[in-house]
Amino acid sequence: MAEQVRSSIAADGADRRDTPLLEARGICKSFLHVQALQDVNFRVYPGEIVALVGDNGAGKSTLMKVLCGAHHADRGEIFIEGRPVTIRNPHDAQALGIAVVYQDLALVNQRDVASNVFLGREPKRGFGVVDKPRMVRESRQVLQRLKINIPSVYAQVGLLSGGQRQAVAIARAIHQGGRLIFMDEPTAALGVQEQAKVLKLIEDLKAEGTAVVVVSHNLQHVFDVADRIVVMRGGRNAGERIKSETTPEEIVRLIVGADRIRAAEVA
Amino acid sequence: MAELVLRDQEGVGAVGGSERGILQRLRDTRELGIAVVAIAMFVFLAIVRTDTFLTTNNLIGVAQRISLLTIIAVGMTFVMISGEIDLSVGSMYGLLAIGLSEMLVTWGWNPILAMPVIILAGVALGFINGFITTTFGIPSFIVTLGMLALLRGVTLTWIRTPPFGRVGGWFDRIFGGYVWEIPAQVFWMVGVVIIAAWVLSQTRFGYHVYATGGNPQAAANAGIDIRRVKIACFMILGGLTALASCILIGWLHGVSRNHGTGYELDVIAAVVIGGTFLFGGAGSVVGTFLGATITGLLTNGLILLGFEQDTEQIAKGAVIILAVSLDTWIRRRQRIA
Repeated sequence: MAEQVRSSIAADGADRRDTPLLEARGICKSFLHVQALQDVNFRVYPGEIVALVGDNGAGKSTLMKVLCGAHHADRGEIFIEGRPVTIRNPHDAQALGIAVVYQDLALVNQRDVASNVFLGREPKRGFGVVDKPRMVRESRQVLQRLKINIPSVYAQVGLLSGGQRQAVAIARAIHQGGRLIFMDEPTAALGVQEQAKVLKLIEDLKAEGTAVVVVSHNLQHVFDVADRIVVMRGGRNAGERIKSETTPEEIVRLIVGADRIRAAEVA
Repeated sequence: MAELVLRDQEGVGAVGGSERGILQRLRDTRELGIAVVAIAMFVFLAIVRTDTFLTTNNLIGVAQRISLLTIIAVGMTFVMISGEIDLSVGSMYGLLAIGLSEMLVTWGWNPILAMPVIILAGVALGFINGFITTTFGIPSFIVTLGMLALLRGVTLTWIRTPPFGRVGGWFDRIFGGYVWEIPAQVFWMVGVVIIAAWVLSQTRFGYHVYATGGNPQAAANAGIDIRRVKIACFMILGGLTALASCILIGWLHGVSRNHGTGYELDVIAAVVIGGTFLFGGAGSVVGTFLGATITGLLTNGLILLGFEQDTEQIAKGAVIILAVSLDTWIRRRQRIA
């Protein structure tokens, strides 16, 4: 089974000629006695939307955290555009163009949009004074570029809708210079209309050449936007499919483990 | 070209517009609302008790008390916006004031030496509060409650008879003197308010204080050292409490061993009446100044209106609950909107 998975990944890799934007090989990570990631491989190509799916505890969040510097892998290598890199903390990841949009969005509700887009990276004009005009200007530009509809960059983030807040978090990731953006459950907390807007935004990011990794439970949304679907199970790679060559049924089978389905059918 | 198009859209576009968001307006109106209350109280007292309220002596006394309260409450504003609280501020005020008095009077130190020592002591006490809170992850409420008792105990154990004596010279003049009819305290307060308002609203450190209190996890994710920010806020409060102690000694030349007992309530009242959110992330220095003005006028007004001094506590307690309820209610409505 594992053999088969590995060979299918190799075959898929062979017909892509460009270097992956990000490649992780043989990532292992354990917490005390729990082996959270075992020999996991993961690649993202420039301008690609990859869905990272799996059941709870499959290791998808841990993998995301390793790749964005929140966790440190016990073993394994990470390459950016073919160059080996070390990611020890979120700053390292940021410097390499990797940005994260957390599920809880990590926004400061009491502050305005511009302050959130620049959170922790406020530009200075001297004497430690924050260059607010520049923050306002650049926030507008990035929101405009992403065609994000926000009443005003002076608006308090807590007053915005869930989708708008998601958009602000994405704008921040883009403004950080993210070439690869991880999104943890980007649609989970949203209404149906807002979900559609966020999915559209993910497609717009792709059109701009930004690579996006969507960590999600929602297979319908995964099939709406992803180019490629990477499935994890029990801390290992469970399979990887090009969206156009697979079905939701097959992905579900990979998520829960094909043998278990067969067992259930027999029973 | 792209620039031009962008700018063109900015005027009419969805993102652009020069309108200050709803928040900005609400925040402005909140401070405006507090200012209106303060002015209304002033006018009311001026009309009802013209002969006693509108005298130079009374107004100077009110201004002196409001000034000291504001200086300490400004420090508390930093701490509370960063999501913490300091209940030890009253005991700290007492210890620093009586300690300074002891140095100047009993030990005969030159104020040029005693003053920096007391300021450093205040900053160090703030550091201890912040360090324990952030290192052990204990709520600052508990840490500073312990410090409230501890520092008062130190004062009472150390000082048996409170020293009293005029230092004279420049020390009395810069802290207890007058320019025209305006007491020195008022100038100190204005200076503190201007500098603190600038730091909090304009500097990167100020932005980080708001972010730390608003969403500590998000601030930390964004690379802000929230521990350092919180400790710095406690240190600012300690330093300003020490400054208030200097002013107090220059003005009154001595204090009792119980000085500052219960003062933390006045300080926190001024801060929350001034619109600073009890759980961090929002508030302003100007709001705190207005909050201190309201509590100062309340105290003075009750006395002038002939209420017993003990009723002051009732009024103050009620005003705190009212202010926080109102604030929480407004914020909850905002969140839902």
